[in-house]
Amino acid sequence: MITIKDQHFTPDASGVLFWENKEILLVADVHFGKIAHFRKYGSAVPSSAITVNFKKLDEAIKKYNPRKLIFLGDLFHSDYNQEFKLFEHWVKQQNCSILLIKGNHDIVHPSFFKKANLEVLPHLIIGDFYLSHKPEHKPNFFTLCGHLHPGYALRGLGRQKLRLPCFYQTENQMILPAFGTFTGLYLVKSMPNESVYVCTQNEVIKVQ
Amino acid sequence: MNKKESLAIVQDWFTKQNWKPFKFQKDTWKAYEQGKNGLLNAPTGSGKTYALWVPIVLELLHNKAKEGKLKKGVKALWVTPLRALSSEIEQATLRFIQEVFPEITVGIRTGDTPQKVRAAQKRKMPDLLITTPESLQLLLASKKYNQIFASLNAVVVDEWHELLGSKRGVQMELALSRLKTLSSSLKIWGISATIGNLEQAREVLLGPQSNQLKNAVLIKARLKKKIKVQSIIPKSMEKFPWRGHLGLHLLDEVVGIIRHSKTTLIFTNTRSQCELWFQKLLERYPEFAGELAMHHGSISKETRLWVEQAIRQETLKAVVCTSSLDLGVDFAPVETIIQIGGPKGVARFLQRAGRSGHQPRETSIIHFLPTHGIELIEASALKKAVKNQAVENRNPYFLSYDVLIQYLITLAVSDGFYPESIFNEIKQTFCYQSISEKEWQWCLNFISYGGESLKTYDEYRKVEILEDGLFKVNDRGVAMRHRLQIGTIVSDAVLAVKYVKGGFIGNIEEFFVSKLTPGDVFTFAGRNLEFVRIKGMNVHVRKSKKKTAKVPSWAGGRMSFSSQMSELLREEMYAASSTFPDSDGPRQKLTLELKALKPIFKRQVQESIIPRPHQFLIETFKTREGYHAVFYPFEGRFVHEPLASLIAYRLSLLTPISLSIAFNDYGFELLSDQEIDVQQILDNELFTSEFLMDDLYKSLNATEMARRKFRDIAVIAGLVFTGYPSQLIKTKHLQSSAQLLFDVFRDYEAENLLFLQAFTETFEHQLQEERLRLALRRIEQQQIVWKKCEKPTPFSFPIITDRLREKLSSEKLEDRIKRMVKAFT
Repeated sequence: MITIKDQHFTPDASGVLFWENKEILLVADVHFGKIAHFRKYGSAVPSSAITVNFKKLDEAIKKYNPRKLIFLGDLFHSDYNQEFKLFEHWVKQQNCSILLIKGNHDIVHPSFFKKANLEVLPHLIIGDFYLSHKPEHKPNFFTLCGHLHPGYALRGLGRQKLRLPCFYQTENQMILPAFGTFTGLYLVKSMPNESVYVCTQNEVIKVQ
Repeated sequence: MNKKESLAIVQDWFTKQNWKPFKFQKDTWKAYEQGKNGLLNAPTGSGKTYALWVPIVLELLHNKAKEGKLKKGVKALWVTPLRALSSEIEQATLRFIQEVFPEITVGIRTGDTPQKVRAAQKRKMPDLLITTPESLQLLLASKKYNQIFASLNAVVVDEWHELLGSKRGVQMELALSRLKTLSSSLKIWGISATIGNLEQAREVLLGPQSNQLKNAVLIKARLKKKIKVQSIIPKSMEKFPWRGHLGLHLLDEVVGIIRHSKTTLIFTNTRSQCELWFQKLLERYPEFAGELAMHHGSISKETRLWVEQAIRQETLKAVVCTSSLDLGVDFAPVETIIQIGGPKGVARFLQRAGRSGHQPRETSIIHFLPTHGIELIEASALKKAVKNQAVENRNPYFLSYDVLIQYLITLAVSDGFYPESIFNEIKQTFCYQSISEKEWQWCLNFISYGGESLKTYDEYRKVEILEDGLFKVNDRGVAMRHRLQIGTIVSDAVLAVKYVKGGFIGNIEEFFVSKLTPGDVFTFAGRNLEFVRIKGMNVHVRKSKKKTAKVPSWAGGRMSFSSQMSELLREEMYAASSTFPDSDGPRQKLTLELKALKPIFKRQVQESIIPRPHQFLIETFKTREGYHAVFYPFEGRFVHEPLASLIAYRLSLLTPISLSIAFNDYGFELLSDQEIDVQQILDNELFTSEFLMDDLYKSLNATEMARRKFRDIAVIAGLVFTGYPSQLIKTKHLQSSAQLLFDVFRDYEAENLLFLQAFTETFEHQLQEERLRLALRRIEQQQIVWKKCEKPTPFSFPIITDRLREKLSSEKLEDRIKRMVKAFT
């Protein structure tokens, strides 16, 4: 559990962040539709991989049972494709309210999100927290965001090296790892007053 | 004109040039004239070009005499692996036809050919076309290509040995399988330098069951060429480094050789080594300015051509180069060759040696410059290898589904294809001779439905199947992206280096640029340049006066010793060990190189031993980096890589441990943060050849190796679109890393043939199962000598300082992270 401005957050190995006090589940950079997009342009990525993001989301929702689900941008990778229909269908099955902070990849026409019953906002303020897609510095606020796909490289004796997705916390912002499978990593270098929590298959470990 | 008359013309022309045809040339003329196919084994600079152009041109003369005029379309294709060689070949061709048959046209079609020229060629093809395997594929991707090749008489594949062991060779096999159907009178010829498997090279070129192979010859140019290897031996071994790869400490000796010779080529193994040598030579001997040049694949074409011209005109004293000067291009004035560092291949070493002393019967001298002490052993072994002509094989690829998929889309892009006829054609090739009906159907399904059964939400779009069963690409975007991506040489994204004010200097890999920050100074093309910015696909730089600079590193293929060469290397080692007092065998005579190494051998013996034929040496010691265990099978890199991973895997089964693995041609190292229990390795017989393949498959390392192979496969099969180096296309949204794709396949479609191919390639091409098995059997019979050393030994040094490493771990990821965190806080 991480405490920021008297609020409690639980980072999860799947890459989601649960805001305990408000019962909000935060998810960044799912990049739905990426696989269908590739296939549409003639790259034969296995379509069975499409279902994995939905499965992972279902598991996270079951685990935390949130009141509200907020996507911190880059929910949909590209323009409209058939994978969006699967997403629409998935949204209908959820009990919690769902909200999207618009990311740079979210270029699907707003009418599709509307049809899917999804509220879309450029950013959102909840108490002392500023929720956005890209890292932004807002005086007096703490930013919760995504966009970066942060990853961290660990080194050890005997020339060991590891690269893992991570939660990256600076003085006034927390950057979530990318939730989507089939997304890459951007390695961060942390400063002394910053924290890094790496995600393994089962655990979140504070390394810095 | 009858045969006698035309032959007389040729004889006449040869006399005019003051030449006398060689026997191999006359043999080739005769065989071709009889309608035969074949492989000509002749070195560069031997007149091989005329061995084939002469009969091809004569055939055209006859046809014209018979039919009154020449048919439309290409009559002969000359395929060369390097487009830089094409103008050279064109010159040689023109020289001949302009006197003998001036109305014949010659043209070049490569990636460098301007659009205007290409369009003109499409309207009227030259009679003789010089091209590359990639450009030939592009012709097959153009509409009505069958008309272009309908009157094709001959295809000559030059430097076939270079293509054979690569996927470009497979591309060539496929193109030939199509051309055989399109033209009824086709003759196929290959030209190859000496390799171990010449017979097989011919079979692959012509097709194992083909009529062409039944009617084929193998002609060897037996040009006696004496090659003398001379090692540059440092005066004092005390100061000679134990490791390193630059060899700059022997710079003064090199200068001595340069001064004594007309023109010297200095071969380096990597482009960064080349840059450094060039820079240091000029720094220490400024008087060479203007007489010293550099040549490597990343330098702009203009500069390269200028250098090549300058060599011919004898205005240069020396050229520092890489394999970019290995092939083609005849340089008569070159007198001396210097090879810096181990060439890692006898064939390559011989080829380089042959670059000097081009007059027949002249002795070629090649100086070998060792970059570190142990390399002198290699020099000693090389001498024997040259004497015995222990040349490596080039192994052809087998069932490369990626290249097949690319080819099928190529055909679908042009005029479309019917599966049955193409299936019959590809089954005639060496690469696909054993492809099953099921695998073939999988490939067809892959290009048309993206490897799936039809699903409602799937929008996969590439090749469409028309009503009459024709496979065809109708989408213009798909066709354009495919044409841009044809080619099987995969490299890192390449950026153009330019001055801020304009002016192209050369190309550089993105990998290197990504490590630079503005203001950094790096050495490139012999200049010190300050990095300003990246704009699009261009790197902007300005000249810098700073002395110290970073040197770009280019990822180069790491070659491995052949088994014959490894054996020679071991013999040298045993010879050295026989001269130490406690040796039981007879004292052997040492070469100059081994004698020079005496001080290093002494150091080795102080700490450890020099293994004898019946001994297998293991050394362990601790350094700042952790615990090292070094094993010495002396079997070459290709055996050490899997062997290291095998032992690491088996060790990891016994105890949770994380290992980092390094290897070179002498041995391999396991490095860990915990002490490695060698006794455990011995007690559990970890060197057994039982369950070999099973264990190898399971070792994480195999997956990692396959992952790297998959990168090329994904690009060739069109799974990843890399864009085009010099063209900025908006493709960012289609770029993804092949690494991610590999994981997706592993998790969701492990039966995908392209995914499986990555493993097959790893095991067949990289791991060489058979050699590994033999090595293990040899080790099983040896006595293991385990030396616990205080500090690294001379033998171990080059291995433990290697930075390219594999990793393996049987520990829980969480435990490793926690320990790493603990160690650094």
